[in-house]
Amino acid sequence: MTRRVTGQVLFAFVLLGLNTVYASQVLEMPFPFATGEPGPAFMPMLLCGLVYLGVLKILINEFRSPEPAPEVESALSAIPRLGIVGPLAAIALIGLFVIVFFYAGYIVAAAFYTFAISLFFNYEQSGSWGRSVIFAVLTSAAITVFGWLFFVKLFGLYLPMWEL
Amino acid sequence: MFGQLADGFLALTDPVTFLYLVGGFLLGIVFGAIPGLTATLAIALLLPFTFGMKVADALVMVAGIYMAGIYAGSITGITLNIPGAPSGAITTIEGNALMKRGEGVQALGVSALSSAIGGLIGTVVLISLAQPVSSLALLFQTPDKFSLVLLAIVTVTIVSQGSLLKAAVAMAIGLMISTVGMDPMAPVGRFDFDSYHLIEGVGLLPAVIGLFAICEMIAQSGIPAKLVQGVAAGQVARPRRRDFIPRREQLRQIGIWNSVKSSVIGVVIGMLPGGGASMASFIAYADAKRGSKHPEQYGKGSYEGLAASESANNAMCGGAVIPLLTMGIPGDAVTAIIFGVLLIHGLVPGPALLGANFPLIAPMFAALFVASIFVFLSVLAFGPVYLRLSQINRGFLYAFIGLISMVGVYASSFSIFQMWMALAIGVLAYFLRRFGYPVVPALMGVILGPYFEEFLRRSLIVSEGDPTIFLRSPASVVLLVMTAAFVWFLRIRPARLAAAAAKKGEGA
Repeated sequence: MTRRVTGQVLFAFVLLGLNTVYASQVLEMPFPFATGEPGPAFMPMLLCGLVYLGVLKILINEFRSPEPAPEVESALSAIPRLGIVGPLAAIALIGLFVIVFFYAGYIVAAAFYTFAISLFFNYEQSGSWGRSVIFAVLTSAAITVFGWLFFVKLFGLYLPMWEL
Repeated sequence: MFGQLADGFLALTDPVTFLYLVGGFLLGIVFGAIPGLTATLAIALLLPFTFGMKVADALVMVAGIYMAGIYAGSITGITLNIPGAPSGAITTIEGNALMKRGEGVQALGVSALSSAIGGLIGTVVLISLAQPVSSLALLFQTPDKFSLVLLAIVTVTIVSQGSLLKAAVAMAIGLMISTVGMDPMAPVGRFDFDSYHLIEGVGLLPAVIGLFAICEMIAQSGIPAKLVQGVAAGQVARPRRRDFIPRREQLRQIGIWNSVKSSVIGVVIGMLPGGGASMASFIAYADAKRGSKHPEQYGKGSYEGLAASESANNAMCGGAVIPLLTMGIPGDAVTAIIFGVLLIHGLVPGPALLGANFPLIAPMFAALFVASIFVFLSVLAFGPVYLRLSQINRGFLYAFIGLISMVGVYASSFSIFQMWMALAIGVLAYFLRRFGYPVVPALMGVILGPYFEEFLRRSLIVSEGDPTIFLRSPASVVLLVMTAAFVWFLRIRPARLAAAAAKKGEGA
């Protein structure tokens, strides 16, 4: 019988992959003690070895442990598969915020971002679009104005406004 | 020193500085009380703004958040059986049992009073010990400093919850992040992939914001609100303010000796790297139970147990600041971020800090003292509100955190790249957390990494590659023995005892 590949195992492989990218850079540096001194590669090399050993041991432990029961979907939320959809939506929204912030400035990015996050959390909790949209609009306006007052007026920091 | 300390207290009479203290205190209460948010996150969010503040204001605000955040972990623990912060976990056992008995308001009062006593004792110890320890630390040589940083790194790793292997991998990842950029001892770039952004290294701010604020927001977006805000607001009663003052019979039951002893335990544990508020409260609670005349009441609503736990975790605040200021070694996540606040203002934590810069640090000592008093006053002023804190709308809360954290990163560096860096670290931290890798060792790795590497390499250069240099200095040997003892007592021995108990259970 084949074993189901869990997220835990996949993540361990991702860490191994990232560690290999890191290790590829270590190989471009002079070997430790080649000139009599530990040199820039000394600690990175130790860390690479530690991560390889640690993650491989985690993988072995994972394969030896009994197969975990599949996750039961929670009926507590209005959004199906919230455990996956929620984090993906949050990551996408933050990424989108950085892009919009760069091209359109603080006001547009902040208003859109806070509206979307507030809408997500409120809809997840209430399951009502109408109520969530109203609350999200109010939240967005309040936090965007607060952020501008806080950063620009109180602390005198520069935020791109595109002369708005 | 006393004159400078008095000046520190006088600095709090400046209305602006005092407002920063009050603002930090209230922020700490809100973040500490809401499950999922912590004092660490509040200070992380504050970090970008400290650029624009006077150093005294920044440190005073941080002190207010720290003291309030540690205390406030008990509020929702008592009222809802959900500790707002890990430091409130032990308090929750007794506090919520009292709440179910209809004595929740009194439990909140006792918790606040005990936290205030612990905070005051911790601050007095901090003030008394800071300069003598600094003088001692000035005698440390490079191998001693390496052994000290090693002690911090190992201890923070072994006290992490869950798998030791995963904690070690998380620490290694943090150390790896710290190696990106210019080499600390040779003029060469490392892991920069020919990017001029990466050659500057990964800033402390995107690392802190990513590891705590972004990670928390991503994690919360996958948790149903009904799971977090399990108890309806309507179930919480509305008491009068005077009901929060502890009664005489409760104070007699707790005993002054119990509070003082628990506070001393808290300070000592706070001074150890990796100690933290949770460990302080747990050990003080266990010690109070061992010496109690009524151990049978523990777990069923004991004011004595509640007071021991709360005195210890707030006393820890003063203790945890001692190694940070005197040796430059942060012992936990909060002090690690305070380390960042000091660096931002050009103050390098370490033995020389309190010599030349005591006047700049003194307001922070004063703020810890005053914030301890605020803890008790706050329950009288806001006690009824505390009972409803966890019901804040999550949409509003996380929209606020999401915006302030990302714009904060930009405002401190004017770099879109640093915003991407914060997001990347946040995503990595989220997956680390999701799969059981603790995030605090990673943060400690990022912060202590440059020192760890520099002291290690300098020592090996001096000894021409001979590692026995770390065994030639008495201070280094003591620190290495302490490291080994911590590993034995905190990991190996408990694991062996648990295995023996499991074997015995199977045999029976």
